Amino acid sequence: MRAPFRIIFEQRAETPKYLSALVPFLSVLSALIAGAIFLQATGYSASETYSNMLSDGFMSYRGITETLGLSTVLICTGIAAAFSFQMNLYNIGGEGQLYLGMIGGAWAGLALGPHLPSFVMIPLLLLIGALAGAVWIFVPAFVRSRLGTSEIVTTLLLTYVASSLVKHFINTPDSFFRAENSAFPQGRNVADSAALSPIGDTRLYPTFFVVVVLALFLYWVVKKTEFGYRIQVIADSPRAAHYAGVSANRTTMSVMLLSGALAGLGGATLIVGPFARLDQGITLLGYGYAGIVVAALARNNFAGIIVSGILFAGLRVGGEKLQISTDTPKHIGIMLQGAILLFALGGEAFRRYKVRAVRMKAVAQ
Amino acid sequence: MNSNIWILSLADSVAIATTLILAALGALFTERAGVLNLGIEGMLLTSAITSFLVADASGSIWFGLLLGIILGAVLAGIHAFLTVVLRANQIVSGLALVIFGTGLANFLGKPAEGKTVRTTIEAMSFGALTDIPILGPIVFGQDIITYAAILIAIVASWFLFRTRLGLEVRATGDDPATVDAQGLSVASIRIRYTLLGGALVGLGGSFHMLAQSAAWHLEATTNGIGWIALSLVVFAGWRPIRLIFGAILFGFTLQLPFTLQAEQITFIPSALMPMLPYLATLIALIALSRPGSRNILGAPKALGTPFVRDER
Repeated sequence: MRAPFRIIFEQRAETPKYLSALVPFLSVLSALIAGAIFLQATGYSASETYSNMLSDGFMSYRGITETLGLSTVLICTGIAAAFSFQMNLYNIGGEGQLYLGMIGGAWAGLALGPHLPSFVMIPLLLLIGALAGAVWIFVPAFVRSRLGTSEIVTTLLLTYVASSLVKHFINTPDSFFRAENSAFPQGRNVADSAALSPIGDTRLYPTFFVVVVLALFLYWVVKKTEFGYRIQVIADSPRAAHYAGVSANRTTMSVMLLSGALAGLGGATLIVGPFARLDQGITLLGYGYAGIVVAALARNNFAGIIVSGILFAGLRVGGEKLQISTDTPKHIGIMLQGAILLFALGGEAFRRYKVRAVRMKAVAQ
Repeated sequence: MNSNIWILSLADSVAIATTLILAALGALFTERAGVLNLGIEGMLLTSAITSFLVADASGSIWFGLLLGIILGAVLAGIHAFLTVVLRANQIVSGLALVIFGTGLANFLGKPAEGKTVRTTIEAMSFGALTDIPILGPIVFGQDIITYAAILIAIVASWFLFRTRLGLEVRATGDDPATVDAQGLSVASIRIRYTLLGGALVGLGGSFHMLAQSAAWHLEATTNGIGWIALSLVVFAGWRPIRLIFGAILFGFTLQLPFTLQAEQITFIPSALMPMLPYLATLIALIALSRPGSRNILGAPKALGTPFVRDER
């Protein structure tokens, strides 16, 4: 049996500006509507859930500062994902690189912290965290550029290895990272010089502004520099790049290493910021995976990632509060993230193509 | 060395391997048709909790399995719609499915947190055969789904490599333009096998939940098996028969840490043991992508790329 009409996609020569802005907005809206229907169907009040999430995540002083605080790490993992995605390299192991950034940062804070003043220690800690993230992606980057081994699977497998590593460092007796006199296994706090204090009475740390500036800097790098241009050329047409003498291997390597470093930096911001120690709770939070969603919603636009990072942080903060104040499971926040991305992907088709339904007869002619 | 522990652990490996075979076969069918679905982990979780809730409410395991299968296919349907009809990026769509599925499973599973399955799928008994020492419990002491999974894999191999329909599927994954020129609909084939793949993954997730009397607990429920299934497909070179052996090997390594712990063999710190199967897979993947061995792999050539008919 054949459908009486066919759906036709016409590639748009140029996407109208208003569509580029409208599509993400409508995707979020549609996901929220779908979520509302789901909430009502499962016996929760949608209006109450949403208004609670909105006020706890965005509209109150506590809420918005907490959201901006959480967005710090999400923007970091978001730009990490986008940096590789834009070259069609799918580093989906940002999660593991983030753990390594935390391990590296915690090591620096514990080993070097007592000997260095704060203004040296903080930048050094962030740098070592980024370096640890880059080390973690080195093997996938190397085999991707030399042998063509799929980076999707290798980066992902290493995430599980990294997660075991974090648990090992915390649970092993006499571990360097473990606090000595505590009832249950937990990380040792880094030296005072390695921890920043939050702004006022909030949970927002100055690293937020560092990360925002970094995102804007990368935006500039990709749009304006020769390195950014090379990435675009390889992404658009690897063959053309080859003929133009652009080394795809080398660029693949550096893009992936930088992507890992950015995710590692995200882990290090957690050490100087809210955690101040290696904490195995990180393996349950999924900040690295969330970065992929953040990047995808912003369509790998580094300035857009700041916005989508804050949006998703707010959904999480609002969701967490929800479970405390009402009995609605906090996972509605995660579900909505997934739904928003699914709708955004669908909406993308309408941005790129003119979609029309045509009667079968008309096609036959 | 206690031989009982080893027999039990081998039998356990087969149980884990069953989930792996089903989930990986689902991914294999999907990928053979040219669609990459990274959402397996989210689909496994969603069908696991669905089968749990349905089996718990209805008291029927089979009803639970059925709903689990349907949910797997529904989630795969979302992926097929986005990537085949709307031509969205397959990688991002799959990841969105993981996040959505994880959130959904957790949301639905909140009331069931910590509860255990009322009834479980029972092991079959072949009488005297099952009582054969060592070999008996491993070969003849499994449940019906395990035997079914192996049978499905064998049928899948025959189907893909010996039938005309199977040839169409493989051609769709390798060279969709030719399939299109033959007057077949690439989109329709891709959607059908993505759905079939989803149903198999759904069966795998439901089996995983209902085969053991484990409590519903998100982190412990699938533990990354969906991702392992994806690497298993690569490991098996997109061939169902190789996939059976790969699954048993992977199942054994996944389960090995527990056995070694029970045997108090501690040449590796116990917290580091869970990383072994992942490292083993990683090494295997890299070894298999060496230039000399690349043709052993045989990935579908059009995997991950949307098909757009050249209309100019």
